[in-house]
Amino acid sequence: MRKILASEALREILLPLGRMALFVVGAGALFSAIMFALAFLAQGSGADKLLLETHKMGILEYTLGQLPQVLIDGMTLGFVYAAIALGYTMVYGVLEFINFAHSEIFAIGAFVGVEFLIFMDRLGVLAAAGPLGSYMYLVLALAVAMIASGSVAVLMERTAYRPLRNSPRLVPLISAIGVSFALQDVIRMVESLTTGQFYRVIPTFGNFDERVALFSIPTGGAPIAVNIQVKSIVVIVAAVLMLVALNYIVNATKIGKAIRSVAQDRTTAALMGIGVNGIISFTFLIGGALGGAAGVLYALKFTRIDPFVGFMPGMKAFTAAVLGGIGNLTGALLGGICLGMLESFAGAYLGTFTMGRFGSEYKDIFAFLILIIVIIFKPSGLLGEQVSQKA
Amino acid sequence: MKPTLRERLGVLLAFCNKGRNPYWLTGGLIILGFVLVYLSPRSIPAFLLFVGGSSLAYFLEMKKPARLAFAVLVAIVLVPILGARNIFYLEVIFQIAVFSALALGLNIVVGFSGLLNFGYMAFYAVGAYLWGFFGSQQPFLLHEIPGTAPPGTPFFLAPDWFYLFIFLGIIVAAIVGLILGLPVLRVRGDYLAVITLAFGEIVRQLLNNLDKPLNLTNGPQGISPIQKPTLTPEVVAFFNQIFEPLVGRPVTANQFYNILFYLIAVAVVIFVIIITFRLDDSRIGRAWTAIREDELAASAMGIPANKLKLGAFAVGASFAGAMGVLFAASRTFISPESFTFLASVNVLTMVILGGIGSIPGVIVGAVVVTILNLQVLQSISLWLAQLRQSDAFIPIINFHWKDLSNQLDPSKYQRLVFGIILVLMMIYRPAGILPAGRRQRELEHVDSVIDDEVDSSIAPGAASSSGAVSKGKEDDHV
Amino acid sequence: MSESTHVLQATGVVKRFGGLTAVNKVDFSMEKGRIFSIIGPNGAGKTTFFNTISGLYKPEEGRILFEGRAIQGLPPEKITLRHIARTFQNIRLFGGMTVLENILVGAYTRLSQTAIDTVLRTRRFKEEEARAEKRAEELMAYVGLRNVGNELASSLPYGGQRRVEIARALASEPTLLLLDEPTAGMNPAESEDAMHLFRRIRDELGITILLIEHDMKVVMSISERISVMDHGEKIAEGSPREIASNPSVIEAYLGRGATGGIGAGSAAHVDKLAKEDAS
Repeated sequence: MRKILASEALREILLPLGRMALFVVGAGALFSAIMFALAFLAQGSGADKLLLETHKMGILEYTLGQLPQVLIDGMTLGFVYAAIALGYTMVYGVLEFINFAHSEIFAIGAFVGVEFLIFMDRLGVLAAAGPLGSYMYLVLALAVAMIASGSVAVLMERTAYRPLRNSPRLVPLISAIGVSFALQDVIRMVESLTTGQFYRVIPTFGNFDERVALFSIPTGGAPIAVNIQVKSIVVIVAAVLMLVALNYIVNATKIGKAIRSVAQDRTTAALMGIGVNGIISFTFLIGGALGGAAGVLYALKFTRIDPFVGFMPGMKAFTAAVLGGIGNLTGALLGGICLGMLESFAGAYLGTFTMGRFGSEYKDIFAFLILIIVIIFKPSGLLGEQVSQKA
Repeated sequence: MKPTLRERLGVLLAFCNKGRNPYWLTGGLIILGFVLVYLSPRSIPAFLLFVGGSSLAYFLEMKKPARLAFAVLVAIVLVPILGARNIFYLEVIFQIAVFSALALGLNIVVGFSGLLNFGYMAFYAVGAYLWGFFGSQQPFLLHEIPGTAPPGTPFFLAPDWFYLFIFLGIIVAAIVGLILGLPVLRVRGDYLAVITLAFGEIVRQLLNNLDKPLNLTNGPQGISPIQKPTLTPEVVAFFNQIFEPLVGRPVTANQFYNILFYLIAVAVVIFVIIITFRLDDSRIGRAWTAIREDELAASAMGIPANKLKLGAFAVGASFAGAMGVLFAASRTFISPESFTFLASVNVLTMVILGGIGSIPGVIVGAVVVTILNLQVLQSISLWLAQLRQSDAFIPIINFHWKDLSNQLDPSKYQRLVFGIILVLMMIYRPAGILPAGRRQRELEHVDSVIDDEVDSSIAPGAASSSGAVSKGKEDDHV
Repeated sequence: MSESTHVLQATGVVKRFGGLTAVNKVDFSMEKGRIFSIIGPNGAGKTTFFNTISGLYKPEEGRILFEGRAIQGLPPEKITLRHIARTFQNIRLFGGMTVLENILVGAYTRLSQTAIDTVLRTRRFKEEEARAEKRAEELMAYVGLRNVGNELASSLPYGGQRRVEIARALASEPTLLLLDEPTAGMNPAESEDAMHLFRRIRDELGITILLIEHDMKVVMSISERISVMDHGEKIAEGSPREIASNPSVIEAYLGRGATGGIGAGSAAHVDKLAKEDAS
């Protein structure tokens, strides 16, 4: 057994950070460029005139003015999707199986985290907590959610997937759909029996809702102030930390090596003395924990959650995983950021550019279209399938 | 040795099939069930007895005309009478019929050809919105904001176009099926499942959002009112003339609509069953099964797999399209909410529960799931509600029913029920309640001739005589 | 040798998988009514060549002519339509279907029923189905299957499954039958039966047979001509006797210590063959 050197460990931390920066800048630049091109072409169009009337600025100026906010939102969303996508991609890498119920693992994380915070709020400690304290409670909520989601994911694999491991491929998929639906109702049942309602709202605490003003853009009309919500920063930082940690586990630890070998060839790995079942459980554990944490971050960003909250983010994260190349950790990151950017851009500009004919509600349709197009025309995704040598 | 359960059941079945027993049993149970339902319209056991007795006509051995006679008696006479007395049953049986057709259609795709389709409801939506659009005022409301129909807007088509639209629904849904099926040419397995899910969601989202720029679907509000076919008073009067003594009261035109839609649904289901059976037992059905079992070997046997897979998508979709038209007319209201992923999984549950690839199984699945949905879960909810109002309590743990949260309403937990059904079926009985069997044929006894020198029946001249496409080169072969 | 007697002609066939050239410039031609074998060590490219003929793979280069018409690159179903049928090395029956249905699937290309016929149950449909069923039964009898028509194909023993596969291939009315290691896993008695069956298929039905085989005893006794492949290339071709004495063939086999087929043990057998050849 070769010892992992400190310099190598450092490399495994810096490398994914570098990749994330690259992906964010790259995807942001690409989307911005496309948007500018569209705005340039749309000059003089009805949308342009409408904007001049209502906002006293042309479409090019408007696009530019909105851009920083759109990029920040896209990045925030992108990291949440990436964190969920990793759960899909890891399980697929190891078992070649789409864990459809991962979206409910995400929802469970959101609910457990939010319930924890609500409980703390009732005790009164949340309101009393200082700035540092509120971050501590958020970290605690994340931890509790990760434990809960990870455990449920492991349990789910034991009961609903493991007995089917040697069945035809569609059998575990149907089982996963079943688990997904059942869990949605379990969440709903637990919530409505204990609280009388099935949706929850995260309590306001700390300074997460405050906005940090970054700069303002002078325009023909009112200047556009660009700011970032504290919680967006929190989401981004937390997601980045977790992604780096996961990358480290998979690439620079002994258990990560075992995961990679099981992904490459389960039979051989078993012959080499690797406990395949344990490794698969561990994969579900960390994938689930990550999904659960993403749930809490999602709740922090969007405040209201219901038992079906997992479906759309789950589908988008799966799209992200496929877009990046399923089974590929770096790919999931890239896919997540692209999807987040796309959603943010579509949400911000689609309505304006089409003068309200098509609204931001088409952003979901775009995500599904991307999923279909990628699967049909480039099923290996942008970065290709690298099941054996992930990230 | 004690006889096993299977052996005991075998003995029971043998008894049921002996002599004239099947006829007596079936007839007796149908009549008994009918009388019980007639007398106590709310009783589920009575209803189940009626349904069970009727299904014996299929499961026991009897002559074909007798089977048909029982089926006609139940479908055309008894059910309308019960339905006229209690519209609720007609609704249940109507839904059973609708879902049977849907499940049979999905079964062609999932069961016969082995292609998982999670977006099946999209085809149902196509049929429903086809009539929903043309059979309502919607074509005149293209530039109106949803919910602001000017008073006096006329309907676009006369109501009796409905009948034509059932056929149009078949054609349009089949075309959409072909389009949505195109990915099968490149994608298989779980990726195909995800693609169909995405397609289904796109269709639903489009229905939700296409209230602008042109108001085609009226958005989330849905389209209403949608026309029903016309019903002349003479028909209702005629029905009352015959059945009033049995029903106990005259049936109004509105109630008769339920009977009409029930009869149309039954007609469509019979049509669907016949087509499915016939396709299954032909070279097309065999090719589908072969593709499901081993696509590569199938294409090496000369089966054009892509064409057949597309065909499966189109046929499956066409059944849903027809039922969609019927659904739109019978409800007079449709909205995107009816065509969710949950609804698709609902139909999938029927197929999987009943027996994937098995025609009677799938129908049983549709019956069980629909009854579970509309009756069993509802009545448990009702029962819990009654308990809540009573002073009853569970003795040992001293739990008072009135403390039970009124959030615990089983009829609202379909996802849980279906989810658990799916998981359990996959683990314990992936072939379903009534697994698909292969057709057993009457084989002539041709003796094995491997050890004999020449088999005259298949001598060179005969070798290609039966093939229509054979090239007539027998002479060269000799 | 006139053109028309060559039922199958391949020239310069190349099939690559990424960087690996599995079949490299293989030239090959076989005469009508012969039993022709391809032998070679594992991984020599025999099955790949087979798959290229039967349309499962598209060759990168080269031409394959069947009865004078180019078939390279055609999809497998078109190739079956041209009367080429095949079996698989690792039996690929439709395990969930009955034996009879398997054979009926084989007859797919020879049935002319349309979807309309099927749904309406026209007389044409019924007659054709009855005919196809009868013929399937005849084929079952022909390959020596007794009373198993209604059994699931997967429930048959190994030897039985091999026979079903051959019957299924025959149902498509081939003029050329490709058999991929048809006696693999059989005991000597079963192999003997199988060889007998192959000869009858050739002699009685006039079907040309191309087979891949590992069992040298089978190859040497049944084939009229043998091609030897190694590393994706054809290294020799000739009568069994010529092949048995060809030094490069012996090297290809023995040089790697692979199956001890052509060694001294089968020399007597080859002698016997030579006599048969002469007669």
